[in-house]
Amino acid sequence: MTNRIPSIDRRGFLGGLGAAGLGAGALGAAGLSAFPGAALAQGRRNALLIGLDIGDSITFDPARLAQYSSPMTLKAVYDTLITMAPGDYINLKPNLATSWEYRADGKAVRFKLRQGLKFASGNPVRAEDVKWSIERVINLKDQPAQYIAHVQGVDIVGADTVDVVLKDPTQPILTILAAPSFAIMDSKLLATQGATAAADAKDADKATTWLNGNSAGSGPYSLTAWERNQQIQMVRNANYWGEKPGFERVVIRHMSESAAQLLALKRGDIDVAFNLIPEQIATIKGDPQIDLIGTASLDYIYMAVSENAEANPALNKKQNRHAIGCAMDYDGIINSLIGGSAVRPANFLPVGVNGATAETTKEIGFKQDLDRAKKLLAEAGNPDGFAFELTYSNNAIAGVSYQNLAQKLQADLARVGIKANLNPIDQVNLRTLYNQGKLQAVLTFWNPPAVENQLWASATVNRVAKRVHWTPPADMMKLVDDASAERDLGKAAALWRTYQQRMVDAAHLFVLIQPVYQIAVRKTVTGFKPTAAGWMAELGGAKPA
Amino acid sequence: MLRYLISRVATAFAMVLLATLVIFLIANTVPGDPALAQLGDLAASNPEFVKAFRAKWGLDLPIWHRYLIFLEGLAHGDFGISIASQRPVLDDIRDFAPATIELATISFILSILIGIPLGILAAVRRDSWIDHVARFVSLIGVSAPTFWLAFIMLALFYGMMEIAPGPGRVDPIAFLPPRVTGLLLIDCVLAKDWETLNDALAHLVLPATVLAAATLGLITRTTRAAMLESLSQDYVRVARAKGLVEPHIVLGHALPNALIPVVTLGGLAYANLLTGAVMTETVFSWPGLGRYTFRSAVSVDFPAIMAITFIVAAVYIAINFLVDLSYAVLDPRAVKR
Repeated sequence: MTNRIPSIDRRGFLGGLGAAGLGAGALGAAGLSAFPGAALAQGRRNALLIGLDIGDSITFDPARLAQYSSPMTLKAVYDTLITMAPGDYINLKPNLATSWEYRADGKAVRFKLRQGLKFASGNPVRAEDVKWSIERVINLKDQPAQYIAHVQGVDIVGADTVDVVLKDPTQPILTILAAPSFAIMDSKLLATQGATAAADAKDADKATTWLNGNSAGSGPYSLTAWERNQQIQMVRNANYWGEKPGFERVVIRHMSESAAQLLALKRGDIDVAFNLIPEQIATIKGDPQIDLIGTASLDYIYMAVSENAEANPALNKKQNRHAIGCAMDYDGIINSLIGGSAVRPANFLPVGVNGATAETTKEIGFKQDLDRAKKLLAEAGNPDGFAFELTYSNNAIAGVSYQNLAQKLQADLARVGIKANLNPIDQVNLRTLYNQGKLQAVLTFWNPPAVENQLWASATVNRVAKRVHWTPPADMMKLVDDASAERDLGKAAALWRTYQQRMVDAAHLFVLIQPVYQIAVRKTVTGFKPTAAGWMAELGGAKPA
Repeated sequence: MLRYLISRVATAFAMVLLATLVIFLIANTVPGDPALAQLGDLAASNPEFVKAFRAKWGLDLPIWHRYLIFLEGLAHGDFGISIASQRPVLDDIRDFAPATIELATISFILSILIGIPLGILAAVRRDSWIDHVARFVSLIGVSAPTFWLAFIMLALFYGMMEIAPGPGRVDPIAFLPPRVTGLLLIDCVLAKDWETLNDALAHLVLPATVLAAATLGLITRTTRAAMLESLSQDYVRVARAKGLVEPHIVLGHALPNALIPVVTLGGLAYANLLTGAVMTETVFSWPGLGRYTFRSAVSVDFPAIMAITFIVAAVYIAINFLVDLSYAVLDPRAVKR
């Protein structure tokens, strides 16, 4: 048995190419030829090259994950107990666990584990690894621990069975365990790298540095290098239990500029471009060499309006906030700012999760109705409208610049006499002021750490409610608790619908754009599946065409 | 001379410290909270978690205390731990600086090798076609915005003509040589990896040209102006009267005297290249210090901001110091005065 992760260097790689049928003469010629080098060109066929802005990545230790771009890599190198298939964010899928159910007493979830699996190192995947991995997250006390604060620990029931024991069984757990932070790791290998899951792990665990350049998982690929702001390298995991991964290597190349990504994609230097903006997408529509794969995200841009009377008495009146809701040109926003490539949820639950569909928005969401807006203003005692300050950050998200969005809203609101004074500031300053509840109205972004309705809903009645100076009534709090605790998906959907109705009526949060991300993939690659579940794409199924 | 050197170094160090103090105070006036720049929404709303985070990074201490901690670390050659990357700032800088140094140095060499001869020719053949070409090149170099130039170059030579490699230091599929110095060209030579060296050099051409453009323009104009002034001096007329050949007059008599302003400017330009490559690095996905500086600033990462300020100030002062010393060689009178 070896504990070494198979790594690959130039020599080994070229050797592999030779074995794949290339003559030694061809290799010699490749070594001598000038840029771009025949060896490089050959290497391309066996590698999946992804262009992505990875400037935010600071760690590849799943238990410390809090960034946006790193989950794609983590999901490719680690398995979780359960997972979500791209496109279905309601029904969970087996992964390392083949089945699961709440224990008869309801205080734990019992998972049956797939048997006979190996980690990339060759070590067997055992129930002990599941216990160790989840308890390490809890004891490291980094950000992911927040999401399983209601988990007591993991009990090993048998070689193929574990119980995840809950302190508070009304809090959701299954959807959370599908997130990449809760990866099942090779505890035997990690013990040799200074990792621990013991109660003192917060100070005693020393494995993060090693995990930043290596992986200890059972996923389709293994991490072999991470060069900050440059690239992430993975190689095929020969021990993978599922379908054989399609590529020998995966390279995620840091490209912060979308225009550079577009050029590299067109030239074939990368196979996949993640960060193209709508204008660039338009230029490659119909390109015979490039597929555009649209994937509805669960992220969105929203406007939060505070009811703090001291900051702005007009916004304290619910009718005035409703007037804002009725004055905005929702379809126009989506069509003009993101080329129609977006949907809009009724409120804080994105379209695609349980209880939120495009239909729900039509039925219970705000619609543009200028007459009604004017009527509401008159009822509120502001027939000539009012003024408020709209703060946003001076950058762009999903290709939408907040500045353009704010100007569009300003124009829409002006039609009913509401004057939005625009206030662009730095993103961190914005977050600070918004979290302190000091802003009248703000345009900002929400993306979930895991696909769990409770995470969105609990935010709106707790911390986000504070930011907009709203005290939700007790029955509203109960509604969120009941919906979160409901284990029947159908009944839960009905409760979540009511929740959204109540949120629309409270009129503090207006979700404007839920982007449908357009990922450009060269036709040399098939089976590339983007997902909105939080890890951008499933790399395992991608293959050379 | 030794006393002069010591006093210069001491003043330089005081200047650097003053620069860090100023930046520290400015960075502290923004309302942005470093904890919020790093924490997810749920963690940021958990008072316990935020408190622990602040305590860990010393954000709960009074502002003067934090500056003292910075000074204390500095005395030990320690810049502290970056809040954003969660590892020693010095490690971050060691990771990112080589890419920038390599790019800036190549750009500098490029602008000197082209700028000085072009400036000399423009002065000697004043108002000829070569002077007009030099003027045009300088004008483009100085006035074209870097990000625009970068995109145009990339779209033209990489996208359309397909003769230059794309963004990044090497091809995505290439294997990097073992890291010794971090300077890719040197590491390739050490590893005798000629293919990657070839690839890395090819990847340097576009960004180095873009970065060199502004400096090249300045150096050309300054050389031309200084040469014109030198060429009109009496000693040049004397040299001509003695019957010396023209190349000897230009290169032997006029040029050394014209070099003083060029060296001063060149020094500053090099410091500027080292510290001001953010746009070029962004467009060319260059993993350098410029991008790191930018990210540190937007995420209010105090330890990183302070370390970079210190280094930038130190680079400027060190280069100025070297420039001063070079006067002694170029113009011995400067030392006597």
